Amino acid sequence: MSKLSQKHLLGIKDISREDIELIFETADNFKEVINRPIKKVPSLRDVTIANVFFENSTRTRLSFELAQKRLSADVINFSASNSSVKKGETLLDTVNNILAMKVDMIVMRHASPGAPHYLAKHINANIVNAGDGTHEHPTQALLDAFSIREKLGSLVGKKIAIIGDILHSRVALSNIFALQKLGAKVMVCGPPTLLPKFIKHLGVEVELDVQKALQWCDVANVLRIQLERQQIKYFPSLREYSLYYGITKKTLDNLKKQIVIMHPGPINRGVELSSDAADSEHSIILDQVENGVAVRMAVLYLLAGRTS
Amino acid sequence: MKILLQSPQIIDPNSPYHLKEKNVLINNGRIVEIGDKNYSADKVIKAEGMKLSIGWFDLGTSIPDPGHEYKEDLDSGMRAAAAGGFTQIAVLPNTSPAIQTKNEVSYLIKGNDTNLVKIHPLASVTKNNKGEELTEMIDLHEAGAVAFTDGLKPVWHTDIFLKSLQYLQKFDGLLIDHPEDIWLNLFGQMHEGINSTMLGLKGMPRIAEDIVVNKNLELLGYAGGRLHITRLSSAKAIDMVRSGKKKLNVTCSVTAYQALLDDSLLADFDTNYKVNPPLREKADQDALIKALKDGTIDVIISGHVPQDEESKSLEFDLADFGITNLQTTAANLVSLSKWVDWDVLLEKITVAPRRLLNLEIPKIDIDEKANLTLLDPDRVWKFDERSNFSKAKNSPWFGQEIVGKAVAVFNNGKHYFDVA
Repeated sequence: MSKLSQKHLLGIKDISREDIELIFETADNFKEVINRPIKKVPSLRDVTIANVFFENSTRTRLSFELAQKRLSADVINFSASNSSVKKGETLLDTVNNILAMKVDMIVMRHASPGAPHYLAKHINANIVNAGDGTHEHPTQALLDAFSIREKLGSLVGKKIAIIGDILHSRVALSNIFALQKLGAKVMVCGPPTLLPKFIKHLGVEVELDVQKALQWCDVANVLRIQLERQQIKYFPSLREYSLYYGITKKTLDNLKKQIVIMHPGPINRGVELSSDAADSEHSIILDQVENGVAVRMAVLYLLAGRTS
Repeated sequence: MKILLQSPQIIDPNSPYHLKEKNVLINNGRIVEIGDKNYSADKVIKAEGMKLSIGWFDLGTSIPDPGHEYKEDLDSGMRAAAAGGFTQIAVLPNTSPAIQTKNEVSYLIKGNDTNLVKIHPLASVTKNNKGEELTEMIDLHEAGAVAFTDGLKPVWHTDIFLKSLQYLQKFDGLLIDHPEDIWLNLFGQMHEGINSTMLGLKGMPRIAEDIVVNKNLELLGYAGGRLHITRLSSAKAIDMVRSGKKKLNVTCSVTAYQALLDDSLLADFDTNYKVNPPLREKADQDALIKALKDGTIDVIISGHVPQDEESKSLEFDLADFGITNLQTTAANLVSLSKWVDWDVLLEKITVAPRRLLNLEIPKIDIDEKANLTLLDPDRVWKFDERSNFSKAKNSPWFGQEIVGKAVAVFNNGKHYFDVA
C-alpha cells in the first residue's frame, strides 16, 4: 500500500494532496470499523503513543486517545501547564524523558507555534501536531475536509467560508491549506482586527460582513472565539461580537439556500453560534466529532506504517 | 617583534597609500615602514589579495557583562572582537545593572590602556533602559561614556526622547536610538508578512519602525542635537533618514547581516534567525544595499547579540532575539562586497563610527601607531566550537563553512593572528 510522504504530521502546509487523499481513503475504512459491533482492530499492537498536552484540551485529547485505543496501541497521557516551561524542565527534556520510556509516537499540543517542528529536529519518534499555538492544527483540518467531502462529495470548486477569529486560529490556517490543496475556494470573515493583514496573500477571499459570507458559501466553518489566546484586546465585547458576527437559525433561514454549518468545538453557545443554529439540520458538528476519530486513526496508522 | 605584511591592498582614505598594494612593517606597535621593499622581519604574513584597513570599530556590541556573564563576558567578548577584526568596540548598556553611573563606566574601561581591544562604553539614556527617567548623562560623559542609548531597547517615551536630545547638547553628545514602537511590536516574533501569517507568529510590522523614525526625526528638528538611528531594517524608514539628512544632524547604521537575510529563512522556526529588528523582505534588503552605496547608511555594526543555549534552543516564541556576529561580520562584508565597493564598506566600519563619536582616527602611515585590521576576503573557514571565541553560538552560520575572515589585528602594541 502507499505511504505518507512525511515521517511526521506537523502541518498541512508540509503534506501533499496525495497524502491527504491517502489519509481520507484510510479513514473511510476506519469509519466503517468504528461503526461495527466490535470497534477495535489490532493494527498498532505494540506501538506506544504518548499524548503530550501542554495546553488544555478535552475533545482533541479524547479523540486521539480513542483513535489510539481502537487501533490497540498502548497509550500514555501527559498534561502540563505551559507556564512552567521556561522556569522548569524544557520541552526537549520533558519529551526525552517520555521517549526514554520507549515511546514510538508523540501526539503533542503546545501553545508555541513551531513547537512540534522544534521537537522534530531533536527526536526520532513520529510526531503528530495536535495544535501548536496560533500556527496549525492539521488533524482538525483533515477531519473538517473529510466531513465536507462526506456531506458534499468532492471539494473541488466548493466554497468554504471560515468565520471568526482568524488571527488566533490554528484551525483557520490548517483549513486554508487543506481546502486549497483539495481544490476548494476559501473565504475568511471576521472583525478586521481578527484578520491577519497579509491573509489575502494566501489566496483567500476576505469578507467583513457575515451575511455576505454566508450568502457566498456552501459551507460555513464557524470558529470559536479564542479569548484565552488573545494577549491584547481585539474587539470591544462579546455582546457586540455576537450581535454582528454571531450566526443564528434565523440568519440561516433567511438565506435563499441550504448551507452546511461546521464548528471545531467547543462552541461558545450564544456567541459565535446560537444553540438553534448549532443544533439545526444545517449542522454537521457531531459528524465532525465522529470523523475526528476515524481520521486520527488513519493518521496514526499511516505514520506507524511509514516507520515499520 | 617585527612583523611584515606583504602586499596587502591598503584601504584608508586618510592615508597617502590609499588603494595601493604595499609592504607594511610593524615594530613594537608602530608602523615603521611602508613601501615595496622586502623588509626583514621576525614574522612575515603573505597578504596578497587581502585588505588592510585601520582597526574595525563596532558601534554597538552587546556584551551583557555585568549581569549575564554566562552569555558573554568582557574577556570572551574582546577575544571574539579581536578574532572578528575589531580593535575598538562601543558596548551597549543592556547590562545588569545598566551602564548608568560612573562605576559601571570605569568597570568597562579599566583595561583599555593595555588590551588589544579597546572598550568604549555607551551609557544608558534612561535608568535601567526603561525609557522613563534620565540618567546623569553629563557625569557619565565625564567618566568616559562615548554616546547615549538604551541599546537594544528604544527610548520609547516621546518626552524623554525630546529631553535627552536637548540635554545632550551641553557637550554635543550623541543619542543613539533603536527605532521601534513597543506597542505595535508587543509580543511580535518576526517581520509581519506572508511568512509570519503562514507560521502563525505574531508580526513586527515595518510601520512599527517607520512611525518611530518619522516621529524622532520631527523631534530632532524641533529640539536640535545629534541623533544616530541604529539597526535600521525597513525600506521606508531608510528613505525618511535619507531626506532627513538634508536638513538634520542625523546618521544611521545597519547590522552587517540585515541586508543579507530575509524572513523566508524562518520557515522552519530556526531561532538563530530571530532578531530585532526582524529579517524583512527583498525590497528592504535592496533598499539597505542602495543606502549603503549612496551613503545614507553611515555605519555598519556587527549586531552582535550573544545568547546562551537556554535562551535560544527552545520554542520560537520563548527564544530571545539576536545573532552572535562579531566573528562573522567579515564574511557578511564579503557578501556585501558583491554590491558595495570595499573602500565604501570599510569606511563604514572604521572611520565613520569614530568620527561620529569624536574619537581619534588612526591612519595607515609611517610612524603612526599600528591600529590595523587585515581581512582575507577569500579565506574559507568553518565557524564552529574550535574557531569560536564567544561564549555564544547563536548564529545561522555556526557549524558552516563561510568565506571571509579577519586574519590579523594590531592595537595597543598587541596583535592577534590567524595566519599560517
